[in-house]
Amino acid sequence: MKMAWKEIIKNKSRFIILGSIVFLVSFLTLIISGLSNGLSQDNAALIKDMPEGTFYMNEDADETYNLSKIDQDTEDKLIKDHDDATALSIQMGFVDDANDKQLGVAFVTATNPGLFPEVADGEILLDESLKDKGVEVGDKLTNNQLSKDFTVKGFVEQQKFSHSPVAFINPTNYQEMYRVEDMQMVFVPGKDESAVNGLQAFSNKDFLNTIPSYSAEQLSLNMIVWFLVVISGMLFGIFFYMMNVQKIGLYGILKAIGVKTSKLFQMMWTQMVVITAVALALSVGLSQLFAAVAPEGMPFHLPLATTGQLAVVFVIIGFIGATLSGIQIKKIQPLQAIQQGEM
Amino acid sequence: MNLFKIDNLTKSFQNGEVEEQVLRGIDLTLNEGEVTALVGASGSGKSTLLTIAAGLQPASNGEVVFKGKNLTTMKQDQVRKIRAEQFGFIFQASHLVPFLNVEEQLMLMLDVAGSKMKKQEKKQEVERILKLVGMDHRKDAYPSSLSGGEKQRIAISRAIIHKPTIVFADEPTASLDSKRSIEVMQLIQDLTRSLNITTLLVTHEEEMLQYVDKIITMKDGLIQKGA
Repeated sequence: MKMAWKEIIKNKSRFIILGSIVFLVSFLTLIISGLSNGLSQDNAALIKDMPEGTFYMNEDADETYNLSKIDQDTEDKLIKDHDDATALSIQMGFVDDANDKQLGVAFVTATNPGLFPEVADGEILLDESLKDKGVEVGDKLTNNQLSKDFTVKGFVEQQKFSHSPVAFINPTNYQEMYRVEDMQMVFVPGKDESAVNGLQAFSNKDFLNTIPSYSAEQLSLNMIVWFLVVISGMLFGIFFYMMNVQKIGLYGILKAIGVKTSKLFQMMWTQMVVITAVALALSVGLSQLFAAVAPEGMPFHLPLATTGQLAVVFVIIGFIGATLSGIQIKKIQPLQAIQQGEM
Repeated sequence: MNLFKIDNLTKSFQNGEVEEQVLRGIDLTLNEGEVTALVGASGSGKSTLLTIAAGLQPASNGEVVFKGKNLTTMKQDQVRKIRAEQFGFIFQASHLVPFLNVEEQLMLMLDVAGSKMKKQEKKQEVERILKLVGMDHRKDAYPSSLSGGEKQRIAISRAIIHKPTIVFADEPTASLDSKRSIEVMQLIQDLTRSLNITTLLVTHEEEMLQYVDKIITMKDGLIQKGA
């Protein structure tokens, strides 16, 4: 431990270069992860904030929720069998404010108010992002397919779907606007994924992937995040390999005088942990600061749990990279070092 | 008393398709407290013999027996333990750890040798050894700020601080001028005698032989005289 630390102190520039690269890669990873989470929230906070359960869609809907229709008998049976189940529908649309300004929303309606806010006929509950567009409680909003006005009852936090703010409305208003009697889906909370004849069951995660663009968007961003994680592991491997090559003489002499190979590995791991810890502390701090000051419109969401998970992954990948590069330490023969001359 | 015995030792290296026989059957004994010098022309096998004796490379055949134990049949970790606790090394280049100061170099050796001393006692021991080699005023210095002679004195201190049974020295004065070489050889002689440490050293400098008890001359992988 002391040797590892002494080497860091005596060779500051070498370790600062490695630390800086780890910091930059981890910072970039956290920022992209924040954007990935932010976009994910922006695309599907409505679904992500729901409890785990099963979404049932019509089998003929080709896994597309807005083509799905569940007939009344099936819906009634499912809701009768599960007290906390709810039938729900989602449709992209828009409302006009008093100045005829169009506001794009995702209309959501549900039969059981337990999982979603209760909204009376003629009322509308909006995602808080619409406050920024000048909408206030009590405002009248219109939709050209509805015979009456909506009155803004209030706002809900972080309820987005398909990058649009959610608008909770009463099923009666929904049926009038979209000229439908049947609801699109039934959601049953809990782990019970029992098969229902004529319906297709989806877990929350599977349902998210049926949202257009969601999986493509998330796959791309997650791929970048994991590429960066792998690249940082390779950087660790390459840097420690280069440092180990430079230190073959030193390791050989230490082995000659009787230092255990495991002690040399411990020395390398200590250095890896110190560099990673300092680099991660900086990148976590900066990314949290960025989360606090990110522009309003930027979908950036970096919870501490995600940050912690990525930090652990970085430590593990650093450990693997350093250890793989350290295999050469095991192979070093003391005699090589003695024949190499002065270190 | 025979502390160290080498029996019918051979070493060959494969050089392409040719097998080079470097040692051709060496028999040698080292007595407790004696300073023995291996001399001979370049390529005579003296450094190879020293490194095999010190457990730094394996022999092709034969036995290296230290305190009744055959090093050639031991596991690597057992040999490492003997090197750490019972052997001391002085090389042609001082091979000090570049990021440790003089005191830390010696403290490290005590730790490696498994010293049971407390930290304060270790520091006192370091101080005592540094005084013996006249380097106590440089205990906070790093190798980069030491002269060649000073580095070699620290290397000698490192080789003896854990009170080894045998010190192996491979051309310990080769990188020094004649004045420094004599100082270093006198120091090795004085210290190994006063601490009753057996020493096997390789040298090609004839003027250094006045400081040793026994001279073994090697030629073409064989001992010519002195064993």
